[in-house]
Amino acid sequence: MYEYLIAVFAYIFIYIILVVSLNLAFGFTGLVNLGHMAFFGVGAYASALLTLHGIPWYIALPASGLIAGSFGAVIAAITVRLKGDYFQIVALGLAFIAIAVSRNWISLTRGALGLPGIPDIIKNNFYYMLFLFAVALLSVVFLYWLTNSETGKIFQAIRDDETAAAVLGKNTYLYKVLSITISTFFAGIAGSLFAHYISFIDPTIFDLEFFVIILAMLIVGGLASISGSILGVTVISLLLSAISFVFTNISPELIGAMRQMLLMLILLLILIYRPRGMFGKVDV
Amino acid sequence: MMLLLRNVSKMQRIFEHARKSNRKNKNAILSISDISKSFGGVKAVNKCSFEVKENTITSLIGPNGAGKTTVFNIISGLAKPDAGAIRLEKKNIAGMPSYRIAQSGISRTFQLTKVFRNLSVRDNMLIAKKTNDEEIKKVLKGVYFEKSLDTIASELSYGQQRLLEIARALLMPHKLLMLDEPTAGVNPRIRQELRAILKNLRKEGKTILLIEHDMEFVMDISDRVIVLNEGRVLREGRPKDIVKDKRVLEAYLGK
Amino acid sequence: MPLLDILPQLIVNGLIAGSIYALAASGFSLIYYVVKFQYFSHGAIMSIGAYLFFTFMNLMGLNYILAGILTVIGCVIATLLSNWLLYLPLRKRKATPAIILIASIVLLIFSSSLMLAFFGSSTKAISLAKHNKTFDFGIFTITLVQTAIIVSALILFLFLWIILKKTKLGKSMRALADNKDVAQVVGINPEKIYNYTFIIAAVLGAFGGILLGLEQNLYPRMGVPIIIKGFISSVVGGLGSVPGSIIGGLFIGLAENVGVLYLPTGYKDVISFSVLLLFLLFRPQGILGVKMRNV
Repeated sequence: MYEYLIAVFAYIFIYIILVVSLNLAFGFTGLVNLGHMAFFGVGAYASALLTLHGIPWYIALPASGLIAGSFGAVIAAITVRLKGDYFQIVALGLAFIAIAVSRNWISLTRGALGLPGIPDIIKNNFYYMLFLFAVALLSVVFLYWLTNSETGKIFQAIRDDETAAAVLGKNTYLYKVLSITISTFFAGIAGSLFAHYISFIDPTIFDLEFFVIILAMLIVGGLASISGSILGVTVISLLLSAISFVFTNISPELIGAMRQMLLMLILLLILIYRPRGMFGKVDV
Repeated sequence: MMLLLRNVSKMQRIFEHARKSNRKNKNAILSISDISKSFGGVKAVNKCSFEVKENTITSLIGPNGAGKTTVFNIISGLAKPDAGAIRLEKKNIAGMPSYRIAQSGISRTFQLTKVFRNLSVRDNMLIAKKTNDEEIKKVLKGVYFEKSLDTIASELSYGQQRLLEIARALLMPHKLLMLDEPTAGVNPRIRQELRAILKNLRKEGKTILLIEHDMEFVMDISDRVIVLNEGRVLREGRPKDIVKDKRVLEAYLGK
Repeated sequence: MPLLDILPQLIVNGLIAGSIYALAASGFSLIYYVVKFQYFSHGAIMSIGAYLFFTFMNLMGLNYILAGILTVIGCVIATLLSNWLLYLPLRKRKATPAIILIASIVLLIFSSSLMLAFFGSSTKAISLAKHNKTFDFGIFTITLVQTAIIVSALILFLFLWIILKKTKLGKSMRALADNKDVAQVVGINPEKIYNYTFIIAAVLGAFGGILLGLEQNLYPRMGVPIIIKGFISSVVGGLGSVPGSIIGGLFIGLAENVGVLYLPTGYKDVISFSVLLLFLLFRPQGILGVKMRNV
């Protein structure tokens, strides 16, 4: 039970970084990055490969953030200039491309077999959870500061009306690229922390099934609200863990299906009836 | 020698002053020459040329579809002209991205008001210029905006949003202010306020390019009126000359 | 020339896969064209179609015509329910297309867990063995079922083309796609036309699901990879162009199978995703799509 609780909180701290960073792009800047998990996956794979090749974690961790962030910057630089759904389409396409690469670039990723034996950052789970807490806290503080800064206000202005921001002298293109770069940097950091925690990653990290859980946390918490994201992650993580505890006599397969159905149902109901989620500042 | 130089500079100053007070001999802040723009084969703007002089109000009038808003969009960089030059003072701004044109000193509003709906009034204003509450309040007061700075823009009435948008455009450092139908779609009370605002701005000597449908008001407030029809300048002149012009009447009433 | 010897067979295989991709893509694209959102739950309808056909044929022992009709009815009901319970309320509250897209992905994942709960995770196969036989044309072979896949897909595309181009309904759909406000002014009721559009997409999805189930095994999340292929085909063909999406589907099917000449079979996915990447970067409007304008 004690170990289980530690695990629940370890995941909560990792997901907080992931969801808050997605909120920066989606909630605060209006960039619906449906490929966010691709950057999480890139960070996880980058960190796993680096440490498996003997590079210490304290280099691999920031490096995986930088690698994911550079990918994000390049993709954003190419796509956010174009109007309409294009960014969404590319972002989603990118997630699918990431699946194909991770499955098929066998010599690098071992394909569907995945990468086992990723070294721990801290052996003791409790202390690693505290470490995750510290990183999550730093990330949240930074993103909170950013979203309330002048730059953050400009992100939000672009979300509300890009043309109006442009005629007030803001280079909206650069700001959008900046937002995606920062957002994907933190996704990469979260991916690295995740990989070192579960010590094994495979291409399922890019699955839509995983992404919708992250989306549920974001939307239940509410767009453009950092405290909402933190609460969204916590509530959904605890809810999902609770279900496993209540129904102990059902097969794990069925529990998995039921958990997913319940979560998707909650998400759909929120999308229809309470688009601002718990603490959202903007409608979705 | 020194005395002579001082006298020359004094004379220059006097001359400068005389020029400012004389409405006819002003510098052109904005000069547009031969700009054209077509959308899918339709010429929305066709070799359009005109000037906006310093400290004057110039109004663009013309029937619907005459290309007035397209001209605004070209000047502010939201549409790229197919041909032609636009000079803001000495600088050619044609084809520059909209944010650079704004930074060069052109501020504008839109026919359908654009406010940052999820931001507070204060944050809306801060996007235009980094400043303190006092200056923000001063500008807002100048446009008879009376809601608190912490109000979220989407909670304002449409008329109040229009006032906020104008205040925001005024706050941004600019040489030229362009207002696209400021009195459209607002209630009569706000309309009266907008007229008063424009009159005040005129007194302050602002340089304004205005699109407006209310002819009586246009003729009352403008120094110059430019009539657009089918993307061309049909007629240009002082208000009293325009009212008498037959071709202008025809363009409005149809031939 | 052993490589060229297998080329005809690869083309036939490509057409079979391409027909199914094109069914996924055409439903996706039709909704994108008329209702204006990215319709990922079309994959859910296809998996429901496959599982319903399996239930009627193999579990209930009905003949394939009756099973097929019941499957189509089932898919139409499921699709209309998704519109009335989910997409209509979202449209009513003016949710952005991005949110409706998210809702459709959520529905897709919901349906795959629903299939898992009902049918378990083990794979199922629709057995049509007694109806099947293989034709050998020397340079290639094709089974009766595979021939049926290509032929029925072609018939469906012909129907779709007739509906879109030759009927009053198609005219209303095109008017709505072009400009909803103008369409309403001339007396078109959008919601009514949307219902018909969803019904047509449901028929495409039902057949797509049945044909997919005949070509491969059934498993709960089968709707996910097929609609990803449908999405890729639509982007490659040109988002918002229904004929484009069909061309895109056939193109992707052919590229994956003919590409095997140059790459190991495991790289099938890599081919379609590389094609997607190339199109996204260099021709985002797709083969037939409208060019997206710069800001």
